[in-house]
Amino acid sequence: MTEPRNPGMSSTAPVHPDATSPAVEMDPVEYTLRKRLPRKLPKRRNDVYVNMKTDFRAQLARCQKLLEGGGHREICVHGLGLAINRAINIALQLQTSSQGALQLAANTSTVELVDDLEPEDPDEAGEPMTRTRNNSAIHIKVFYPDPQ
Amino acid sequence: MSAAKVKMREKKMRNQPASVQYPSSQGSGQEGGDTPSTGATGGDGPSDIHRSTDRQKKHHHRSGWVRGHQRDGGSYDKEMPKYITGGAFAKARAAEVSAMLKAVTKTTGSSHVFGALPKHMRRRAMSHNTKRLPRRLRDVANRLREKSLQAGSKKKKEQAKCKSRKARRRHGNLLLEFNRRQRKNVWLETHIWHAKRFHMVKKWGYCLGDRPTYKCYRPSYRAMSTHCLLQDLSYYCCIELQGEEDKLLASLSQLTSKEAGPTFAAVLCTSGKRQGSVVVYRAGLYPSQPLGPVTFLWRPRTQGSTHRQLWIWAHPTNKQDLLAELQSVCQCTEAIVPPLVPAATTAETGPTPEPETRPEKTPEATRLPGTKRKRNCKDAGEPPAKKILGDGTRSPTCPVTWRSNSTGIVINDLTMEIVRYRLIGPQSHSVLAETFEAATDCDERNKSQTSSLWWPEHCKDESKMNLHRQQADVFHILKDIYSTGELPAGTVLGLAVDDPRLTLPTKKVKALPSVKQTQEVDEAEEEKRRELMLRGVPEHCCQSSLWDQSVRDNVTNNKMSEQSVFLAICVLQELNRMKSEVLVPGSRLSSTPPQGRVPVLLVHQPGKQVGHEMSSWGAGWDLLLPKGWGMAFWVPLVYRGVRIGGLNMSLKHSQNKGIPHFPHDYPDCPAGVCFEEEQEAELLNKFKRRPPAKRTNYIKHGCLAPFRCPWQQLAEEWELIAMQTTTRTDTLTEEETTSRPDDGVAKPQSRFTVLRNRKSLRLLSDWCRPTTSKGQRRCRVGQAPPLDSSAARQFLAEHGTSVVWVRLSLPSKGKPELHAAVCVPVAEDLRLLNKKLDGGGPQEPLHKNHFKSRIKRKKKGAKKAATSSDKTDGKESDLPNLTTSTENPKSSSESSADLIFGLWPDPLPSVTSHCSRVTLGWVTQGDFSLSAGCGEALGFVSVAGLLNTLLDQPAEHRGVVLLRNPASLQYRLAKINIEV
Repeated sequence: MTEPRNPGMSSTAPVHPDATSPAVEMDPVEYTLRKRLPRKLPKRRNDVYVNMKTDFRAQLARCQKLLEGGGHREICVHGLGLAINRAINIALQLQTSSQGALQLAANTSTVELVDDLEPEDPDEAGEPMTRTRNNSAIHIKVFYPDPQ
Repeated sequence: MSAAKVKMREKKMRNQPASVQYPSSQGSGQEGGDTPSTGATGGDGPSDIHRSTDRQKKHHHRSGWVRGHQRDGGSYDKEMPKYITGGAFAKARAAEVSAMLKAVTKTTGSSHVFGALPKHMRRRAMSHNTKRLPRRLRDVANRLREKSLQAGSKKKKEQAKCKSRKARRRHGNLLLEFNRRQRKNVWLETHIWHAKRFHMVKKWGYCLGDRPTYKCYRPSYRAMSTHCLLQDLSYYCCIELQGEEDKLLASLSQLTSKEAGPTFAAVLCTSGKRQGSVVVYRAGLYPSQPLGPVTFLWRPRTQGSTHRQLWIWAHPTNKQDLLAELQSVCQCTEAIVPPLVPAATTAETGPTPEPETRPEKTPEATRLPGTKRKRNCKDAGEPPAKKILGDGTRSPTCPVTWRSNSTGIVINDLTMEIVRYRLIGPQSHSVLAETFEAATDCDERNKSQTSSLWWPEHCKDESKMNLHRQQADVFHILKDIYSTGELPAGTVLGLAVDDPRLTLPTKKVKALPSVKQTQEVDEAEEEKRRELMLRGVPEHCCQSSLWDQSVRDNVTNNKMSEQSVFLAICVLQELNRMKSEVLVPGSRLSSTPPQGRVPVLLVHQPGKQVGHEMSSWGAGWDLLLPKGWGMAFWVPLVYRGVRIGGLNMSLKHSQNKGIPHFPHDYPDCPAGVCFEEEQEAELLNKFKRRPPAKRTNYIKHGCLAPFRCPWQQLAEEWELIAMQTTTRTDTLTEEETTSRPDDGVAKPQSRFTVLRNRKSLRLLSDWCRPTTSKGQRRCRVGQAPPLDSSAARQFLAEHGTSVVWVRLSLPSKGKPELHAAVCVPVAEDLRLLNKKLDGGGPQEPLHKNHFKSRIKRKKKGAKKAATSSDKTDGKESDLPNLTTSTENPKSSSESSADLIFGLWPDPLPSVTSHCSRVTLGWVTQGDFSLSAGCGEALGFVSVAGLLNTLLDQPAEHRGVVLLRNPASLQYRLAKINIEV
């Protein structure tokens, strides 16, 4: 259970300073980029936020534990940005290892992220800027279908 | 064996009357004559008898206690005596009997009466209650007891008892006692709450809670990372500056430098929207002589006025220096003596009657009694409250306000005027949102009449009420935010709130965010929330009445007492009950008593900003309150399920955030130096309390200075090494430098500095190639100029004698401790690292300390002082690396008076090359990091050393160093990170 340790438990996607943002022209010499954490929503027990820092096997094991030992009929695997791949991977692995007993339902969404641009020379550069950018996210519901 | 027997016999015979020995002395007198003959009874009979007895145990005697017997033992005939003289025999027996009686009656051992009792008759606490003794012994015991009581400190005890407990606990007397007790170390408003639950320490002129008495290290960490941890930071000192904006900025700009990051003049901060933080230097001396970090807050501009107000918050250890420096740069020399100013300023009077106590303990010490206790009736302005104040505690003539005639700047010392609480953790805003209700409007009829209270007056002004409504709106949005870290760092929000005691829950609850699910979120609200997250609180909402001295005093003086609050709560509940029966349930009452409105200021504290992982960990809010309201807000906050932390936790907080903690990690500031000395003395004391055999032998461990860090020496030595490296090859460097550190010491050099230049730091950080602490993800190196020797030389020309703040993470095992040494790995260490990493689980190579035996020998030499000095010399001179330390044993033995076993004597040899690995720096904070899940250390390394190391290292291992605890021989590989 590595997640509670990391406040940034939903994956912080690696976004480079020169990420595409048409709104603001940023000169990397003049500004420091500081990424804020993505907005968090309340988390249920059966929500799994996948990140790129924790070991893959650990995250997979965690999902399996929730499904088998935890007694949940369904879990939600969330991935943001770079972690989308991993979220899909986890979901598929879960399905394979259950020999088809599990079903998947995937949803995608867009998450708005906030960056702070701090001017290097704060006295002259005026207002530090804040910009928003969008990133994709995936939410995969992994569940046992009802017997009926 | 014989000697032992003799001794035993002597012991046995010690209390015997001399006459018992009579026969034996007779015998020995005849033969050896060494015992003084006792009786002149000298009949033949006794001797005869004696002879016979002698004969019986002759073999026993042979082994020998009376030497005469051995000689003539053989000559005695072995027959029984032929006759006994009755009289003489009886006489001798009588003497023996009387001796026996004497021996029996005489008490041996302890002189307690009950010592005479057999064990089974002894009882507990006999000496206390003589009735537990058998009656025959009571008289003696009583006599003894009286004697001991007289000898003891009977008088003192009785004097202390003179007041009954009831009298002592009476309110006024209790206050007197409290005032007396905080004359030296000031109490915070929450002192009594803390004192019941915390280990208190007296520090910096305050009584502060260090850590709770219950076990809560991990729960506190968890609170910081998932819920909320509360701390009382009221001991931080606030200095207020007022004046024209440009003049203020002009004066303050001397204290800071743009190179070290945003200054007082940062646009965002001067607008009053954000709190700023800055490291202050002595005027115009930027790279050298820093004073310490401060945070500052500008009051938002009022329209059409350039008059500004600025609060600077400083740690109590550097407040006095800072104040002096501020006075000099603002040319505020003219002290305003408090009595000249009527009531408004008097509240904050009373600083330093004794200027000789440098730390600012006294100002608050003197003030507290007046203002703190009994705040609801009279404050200091009025004739002193009769019962509480000892007059000597305060000196009203001492100024707290200084004005400058030339610049018009006014400096105000607001120490202890404003209560500051810090809430750390992602849920701290929900704690605040649940605890506070934005102040309710007052009744219509109240509006018409003038009131002495601030709130009714405030309500009359429509623009102010508008502002209040907006602020309340913003505050309301806070509830929709899930984590405190989502807000822009340093946001400020002014607010007026109801007395939180009125809404105190009956049971402790855990405040949780009430984030609505996305479906039911109102569009407009969502928009507002986005606005708040992006832009922060709008500028006009940062205004608060807390900035006004008069409002603060008014609120402080009109605080409701606990009883009236209780009454108010009762009334409220009653009303609520009636309402819920009659009307719509849940409608809030507006009948809070009019004095229950408090202006507060909420200041967002940024979380972890440096580094790449755990970003915005430990963000939170600071809550500023007018004085006197401390407990009124503390308890309601505690009832929202927060954890309370002490000084210990603030250290851990900054450690997890990876930022230096004041005064621990500011070795170049006067306060930091002072702290290091104190810490050394404390650690040394602790060390010396152990018996030498149980101490860590730091000499054996090759640790020169386990209790302090000789930064100056380190910086100088590395500067020398760096200079030589530029000319010579790398292999030569070590020996060269070790042979000549004396030159470096002898040459008068500038003091070392801590590198705070942002650009240089960024460059250095790129060169170190930062990675995440686990080393899993490598971050891209920026567009920095590549590291080569010319770039390094250029860098060193600027920052040769600097040390730099680094974070070291241990990817595998190891828990770094205080003052662990950071060392340079040699090539084979790196090879080992390579191999191990390829093999899967990276393991630490074990490094030997090759100096162990030599140090032992040296220690012996030092102990034996001058006798063996030449021998040690001979032994050591053949050691290539230790040339400098050759003369050390001698010098130390000369001053061996203060030689401590297991510690290096004072003139340290070369600190860099003492061990097999060259030392780069030391760790000032090290622990197992709960946030990273591995050992993490924070400390300083020499810039010159770091660059040298980086240059030598291959690119794929750049930034790998070794870490070794002072009490261990094990080196651990660590990754160096410089985070800007």
